[in-house]
Amino acid sequence: MNDIGALADSSGHLAGRRLEEWNAAYEKVENYFHALRVRNKALLGQLVLRVLERAARRAPAEPQRSATQLAAEEMDRIVIDWFAEVLQEPPANADQMLSTRGRLALLLADMPGRWQEQFLRPGPWPKEFISAMRESYLRAGPDFQLSKMTPRPLDLGPITTLTYLGRLPYLKMVLAWTLFALLLVAIFIITH
Amino acid sequence: MPGASPSAPASSPSTPLRVMPARRIGRHGLRLFIFYSCALLLTGLVSMLFADLLWRTGWSASCTVLLVLFVILFLFAAIGCMHGLYGYVLRMFGDDRRITQLKAYRDQSIAGISTAIIFPIYNEDVVRVCEGLRATYESLERTGQLERFDFFILSDSTDPDKWVEEERCWYDLTRGLDALGRIHYRRRLNNESRKSGNVRDFLNTWGRRYRYFMVCDADSVMRGETLVDLVKLMEVHPTVGLIQTVPALVNAESLFGRIQQFANRLYAPLFIAGLNYWALDFGNYWGHNAIIRTEPFMQFCDLPQLPGRKPFGGQILSHDFVEAALMLRENWEVWFAYDLEGSYEETPQALIENAQRERRWCQGNLQHGLVLFAKGLRGVSRLHLILGICGYLAGPLWLAFLITFNWIRWFHNHTGLSDITVQSYVLKGLSGTAHALLIFIICMVVIMLPKALALIDLSYDWDRRLAFGGLARTATSVVCETIFSTLHAPLLMLWHTRFVVMNLLGVSVGWGTQQRAADGTAWGYAIRRHWGHTLIGLVWGVFMWFLSPSLFWWFTPVLAGMVLSVPLSVLTSRRSLGARARKLGLFLTPEEIAPPPELVALRANMKVHELTEDNSLRRPHAGLADAVLDPYVNAIHVSLLREKELNPVYAEQLAVMGVGSPRVRALGEKLLALGPDKLTPAERLLIMADGRTMVWLYHEAWLRTGESLAPWWRASIREYSRLDVS
Repeated sequence: MNDIGALADSSGHLAGRRLEEWNAAYEKVENYFHALRVRNKALLGQLVLRVLERAARRAPAEPQRSATQLAAEEMDRIVIDWFAEVLQEPPANADQMLSTRGRLALLLADMPGRWQEQFLRPGPWPKEFISAMRESYLRAGPDFQLSKMTPRPLDLGPITTLTYLGRLPYLKMVLAWTLFALLLVAIFIITH
Repeated sequence: MPGASPSAPASSPSTPLRVMPARRIGRHGLRLFIFYSCALLLTGLVSMLFADLLWRTGWSASCTVLLVLFVILFLFAAIGCMHGLYGYVLRMFGDDRRITQLKAYRDQSIAGISTAIIFPIYNEDVVRVCEGLRATYESLERTGQLERFDFFILSDSTDPDKWVEEERCWYDLTRGLDALGRIHYRRRLNNESRKSGNVRDFLNTWGRRYRYFMVCDADSVMRGETLVDLVKLMEVHPTVGLIQTVPALVNAESLFGRIQQFANRLYAPLFIAGLNYWALDFGNYWGHNAIIRTEPFMQFCDLPQLPGRKPFGGQILSHDFVEAALMLRENWEVWFAYDLEGSYEETPQALIENAQRERRWCQGNLQHGLVLFAKGLRGVSRLHLILGICGYLAGPLWLAFLITFNWIRWFHNHTGLSDITVQSYVLKGLSGTAHALLIFIICMVVIMLPKALALIDLSYDWDRRLAFGGLARTATSVVCETIFSTLHAPLLMLWHTRFVVMNLLGVSVGWGTQQRAADGTAWGYAIRRHWGHTLIGLVWGVFMWFLSPSLFWWFTPVLAGMVLSVPLSVLTSRRSLGARARKLGLFLTPEEIAPPPELVALRANMKVHELTEDNSLRRPHAGLADAVLDPYVNAIHVSLLREKELNPVYAEQLAVMGVGSPRVRALGEKLLALGPDKLTPAERLLIMADGRTMVWLYHEAWLRTGESLAPWWRASIREYSRLDVS
C-alpha cells in the first residue's frame, strides 16, 4: 500500500493516471477476486492492492494503456504464475489452458472453503494443499467403451404398402373426394 | 454370469433360446382367452340389450352407427372393468405368477454386477432432477451396495442456461455426496431421436460396461432396496430382458395432482394385477423406472425410422412400447414387478399440464398404428399397442356417440316420429324408460366397479387402510374423485378428439408456454385454453334444452365439465386447495401419511432450495454469463468439453458443427462487442460447444476494458461485487 502511495504525484495523479482510472481498475480486480470466491476482506484488499501496485509500476512506461488494462493483465499474470508454480507446470506452458486447469484445481481442492489463506501466497505450501491441487482432476464419465447399435429391419407388413401408396401423386386429393362422396351417401342414408 | 467383468459383454444373447416359447404361448393363450372372453361376453350381452332398445324405438341407419359406437366404447369399458375385477380376485386369493414369486431372489449375490442408473433429461428443472438423484443415491448407499451402481445424467437440453445450470448442479451434487466418478454427466451435441436417441447414445458410449441399466425419468425417485431387488431378479431370471416397476405418484400438492395421485395409489394395484394376469412374461415397458438387460436391448431394440412423413413417419416417439415388443420378439421376457414398492414418480399439477402431456402421448400412441402389423411381433405386443391406441381413440368415439345420439333425438323431434316404443324382445314388460335406465345403470356399474372393488380390497387390509387415512376418509375421497373425474372426462374427450384429428391431418397442435400464477394456473391462461370447451358446453346445453328438457338433465354431467372448465382448471391447480383437502383428510396416500426416507429427504432438500435461492434477480442469459465469467463454472464447462472431444463420435459432430473454426471466434467477438441478444440461440450454443473459444472468452471478458465490452458484460461483471464477502 505504501508502495502505491509512493507513486502518487503532487497533481493528485497516481503513476500518471487519474484516480478515477485507478478506481475503475480496482473495481475490475476486486470483481475478479470476488468471482474466485476470495471472501476474506483483508485478503481481498491485500490481493487487489498487490495487483494495482504492479500495474502502477508499469504505468509510466506504457502511457497509451489504461490503468484497467494494466491491472487486468497483472491480475491474470499473477494468477497464472502462481498456478504454474503450484501445479509445477513450466512457465512456458503457462497459457490459457493452464489457467483452466488451475481454476479447476482451486475448485476441487476447495480453495474458497479450506485454503483461502494459501491463494496467491508464495510457497512453500502445506503438503495437503499441494496434493489436493495437483491430484485433482474432473471427469464427467467413465472410460468410453464404444459400440454401435444398429436397428434391425422391421417389416411393417401392409403398412409399407400403404406408405408406398401415400407417395402416389394426387392421392390426398382423390381420398378427399372419396371421403366427400361417402359423407354425402352417409347423410342420405341417415336422413332417409 | 454372476461375477462377470462389468466391461465384458454382459449376457449371452443366446440365453433366451433355452426358453420354450410354445409352452409360454399356451399358458398365455388360455389366460388371454379367459380374460378377453369375459370382456367380450359382457359387451355382447349389454350390446344386445342396447340393440333391443334401439329396435324398440324404430331402427334406422343412425341406430346402426350408434350401436357400433356403443359396442366399441362398451368393450373398452368392459376391458377396464375386467382388469379391476381380475386384479381384485388375484389380490384376494393370491397370485403366484409374479416375477417376485417365481424364484427366491433375496439371497442372490450381485457382487461384480455393474448397473447404470440413467436419467435422460431435456430442459428440465435441474435442481429437482439432482435432488431426486440424491435421494436415490443416498437410499442406495444405505443398502451397502452402492459400488455396484453408476449414475448418469444424460442431458439433451437445448437451452444454454439449462446446460450451464446442469453442469453446476451436477458438480455440486457430486461434491456434496463425494461421488465424483460415481455420478456422471453427459450432454449430447444434438438431440437426434429425442429420448430413445439419448439412451442409444449412452449405450453406444458406455453400455458395454454395464450388464443392466435402469431408466429413470427426470422426476423419478427409487428406493435403494428396490434397485438392488431388481438387479437380483434379473440375475435369477436370465431369460428376462426387462422388468417394469409400477411407479407410485408422489409429491403432488395441487388439488388436481393430489386427486390423480390418490387414484393412482388406490386403483392402480388392482388394474396392474389384472394386467399381469394376462400379460405375465409378455409385459410392457413404460419408458422409465424399469431395469433393462443391456446386451439384448443393444442388439435388438434400436428403433428403425418409420416410412412416410411426420407425424406418423420418421422416428418413433413413444419408443417404450415398441422396445418391449422388439425384446419379446426375440424371446426375451418382459415382466411387471407390480408388487415391488419404492418406485416413485410425479404427476402434472394442473389440468392443462396434464393435457400437454396427453398431447405428446397421443401422437406417440397413434404412431404405433404403423408398427401394429409389423411381422414377427407377438400377438400380446400387438394387444399392448392396440390398448394404447384405443386409450386415445375412445375420446373421439365417445364424442361421435353423443353426437349421433343427439342427431337421432333431433331427427325424431323434427320429423314428428312417435316416442312410443314397442315391446322389448329381450325384457318383456319393461318400459322404454326403464330399459334405457337399466342399460345406463349397467354402464355405470362397469365403469365404477373397479373403484368399488379397490375400496373393498382396502377394507380387508388393516395396514393399508391406515396408510390411506382410514376407510371413511378413503371412501369420501373416492366419491370426490369420482365427481372430479366425471367433470374431467368430457374435457379429455374434447382434447383427445382434437389431438387425434390434428394428428391424422398431419397438423402439429401448438401450445405455447404454460403461464402460472403464484398458486397454479392463471385465470387468463385458463380462459385462453378453455374458452372453446365452455362455448361448446353452452351451445350444446341450449340445444339439448330445446331438444328435450328431460334429456338435458341426463347430459348435465357431460355439459357441466365443459361449462365449468375454466374454474375447474384454475381451482384444481391450486396448491392451497390441495392443502385444504389434505387437512380435511381427503385424497391421502400412504406416501403422504408416512413418507419414506427418500421422499422426506427430497422434500426437505427442495424446500431448502426454495428458501435459499432467489431466481427473480437472474438476468437473461445468466447461464452464458456464468459459463464465460465465473472462473469455476468456466473451468468445469471447458473440462467437460475437452472430455467430449476424446469421443470420436462427438469429435466428428463437433467438427461438423464448425467448432474450432474462425467463424466461432468471430461469433465470440460479436458476443463480447454486442452482447448475447445479438446472437441467435444456435450461435450461442455453438460458441458454448467450443472449448477453446470459451477459454478465450473468459480471458477477454476479464482483461478487456469496459468500453470494449457490451453493456451486458459490464453489468454481468459488476454482479460479482454482490457476492457475499465475509
